[in-house]
Amino acid sequence: MALLSVRDLEVRFSTRKATVHAVNQIGFDLESGESLGIVGESGCGKSVSALAMLGILPKAGRVTGGSVEFGGVDLLKLPDQKLRQIRGKDIAMIFQDPMTSLNPVLTIGRQLTETLEKHLDMDKDVAKKEAAELLERVGIPRAADRLGDYPHQFSGGMRQRVMIAMAISCKPKLLIADEPTTALDVTIQAQILEVLKNLTAEEHMALILITHDLGVVAGVCERTNVMYAGKFVETAPTAKLFSKPRHPYTLGLLKSVPRLDAARKERLEPIAGLPRDLRTLPPGCSFAPRCLYATDRSRAETPELHTIDSDDHLVACWNPVPDADIPERHSLEDPGAS
Amino acid sequence: MSILEAEALELEIEHPSGLWRDAFDRLRRNPGAIIGAVIVALFLFLAVFASVAAPFGQNERVTAPTSTPDGPSSEHRFGVDKQGRDYLSRIIFGARLSLLVGIVSVAVGLSLGLLFGAMAGYFGGWLDTAIMRVMDILLAFPGFLLAIGLVTALGPGLWQIMLAVGITNVPQFARVLRSSVIAQRESDYVLAARSLGARGRRLLLRHVLPNSLAPVIVQATLAMATAIIDVAGLSYVGLGPNDPSLPEWGKMLADSAARLETGTHLVLFPGFAIVLSVLGLNLIGDGLREALDPRLKS
Repeated sequence: MALLSVRDLEVRFSTRKATVHAVNQIGFDLESGESLGIVGESGCGKSVSALAMLGILPKAGRVTGGSVEFGGVDLLKLPDQKLRQIRGKDIAMIFQDPMTSLNPVLTIGRQLTETLEKHLDMDKDVAKKEAAELLERVGIPRAADRLGDYPHQFSGGMRQRVMIAMAISCKPKLLIADEPTTALDVTIQAQILEVLKNLTAEEHMALILITHDLGVVAGVCERTNVMYAGKFVETAPTAKLFSKPRHPYTLGLLKSVPRLDAARKERLEPIAGLPRDLRTLPPGCSFAPRCLYATDRSRAETPELHTIDSDDHLVACWNPVPDADIPERHSLEDPGAS
Repeated sequence: MSILEAEALELEIEHPSGLWRDAFDRLRRNPGAIIGAVIVALFLFLAVFASVAAPFGQNERVTAPTSTPDGPSSEHRFGVDKQGRDYLSRIIFGARLSLLVGIVSVAVGLSLGLLFGAMAGYFGGWLDTAIMRVMDILLAFPGFLLAIGLVTALGPGLWQIMLAVGITNVPQFARVLRSSVIAQRESDYVLAARSLGARGRRLLLRHVLPNSLAPVIVQATLAMATAIIDVAGLSYVGLGPNDPSLPEWGKMLADSAARLETGTHLVLFPGFAIVLSVLGLNLIGDGLREALDPRLKS
């Protein structure tokens, strides 16, 4: 049985004027130890899906349907009391901006030990030792000396390491990383991804990596889901997705990323148009207005995910990108290089 | 791992210090705040050691009662009052009262203001609306008028005055705290703490409140200054403590205002004491505001 099994998850935001359809019936399975990437542009519902799974949506948001089964229990049906015990212990989350995600008035040590004391019933001294060890594991030098320091005495990369240490402190079975490297510069990004990759492998943790950066999933994730307008439009093993993108949106994303091996004069191709306004969802494919491959059927009927090429490659498109249009260079030889 | 080492080096340059110590360091470099602190410390000293620092007792007769009291002399540096009491000693004992009044009324305003402000900001919704509308009603009256009304209702004792002045302070504290709680409530680290399983009360007390307190602390020092003025003002309009032996600065001012020509010193010295103590508190408040403002961090 899968560790996490999401079915038809649906999230709505109510504003005074309209209802925003943030997440529309998404579903996926995640085995323990597996790593899944969720890719999409800003506002497509990636982060909201994660927050909904943990039951920490902002006030205006609510889950209107679906189920999130974790270890056989539907998290959406659990009372808040029970869910709190799972948050931080079995499922932990890392956020985008390490500069603001730590409490500025508490020491790093205190923030780490608080979770340990609460979830694992450690007493103060044991928790302190464990905290130092955790910091060591995420690559913070002189860890024991730094427990008494405050967040503002750490750089961005160091703070993200602290966030990771906090998230893995109770050895969760599932780690959700929401844009963990977006706020960091490129050299630090690579280091943080390395830390994430190693830790999840060592602890056999499942990982959901939410990002807008295809380069990040390429290096870390076994499987990738592409999200558009609150729906998954394509899902495949990462290498397959990069070499044979079938959804026009996936292809567009790949074409808009600069590559070292591209011919010099080749231009980057942006995806024309603007992201879907999620206040109204007319029938048809959400991507149709921006799509070069859109047909009359795309505009009239909403496509659902179906297999294409092989059993593990699904796409929601009436007119998938033909082989001829897929550029040769989009191959992913070594999933370890990002 | 050379980048790691570089980061470690960079970290070593920063001397280890906490958030509050940083603020204290900035406060120490502010000359205005130092002057304010010295003034307030002086008054505090006089208040605590009044019985030692004052040359005479607060109600001790040193000369016969007279309608034309003597001005400053080498024996009585601030002169004597109509009852023949040493005026310097009365001013010194008055520091005790005025600081007590400032501290107690701010404590009343602060505790109620924190309670209401935190609840309104943290829980939001109808509770927020209900609390803040009540605060708006309180704010609709000019503070001094409200205090006069409250003293009239409660009676003219010293404690009633402090309570009244404290209540007029509640809306300011509630508003300041509410707005900073709202700002902190939506912050990333609160979301992060929730994702790690922190719950309502702990979230409010450990994460939201400590990060929202800085503006309230500034407000408290400034409110203490206005409280001293308010109490002096209440005494001046005749709503002060009705015990004539109590050396309250505003009351001393009111008692002698009619004899400005014959006993200038009787008006000058209590007025000067009020101005000086308020100035000291204001300087500290301004210094704190700068020290606690993260945007001014250098």
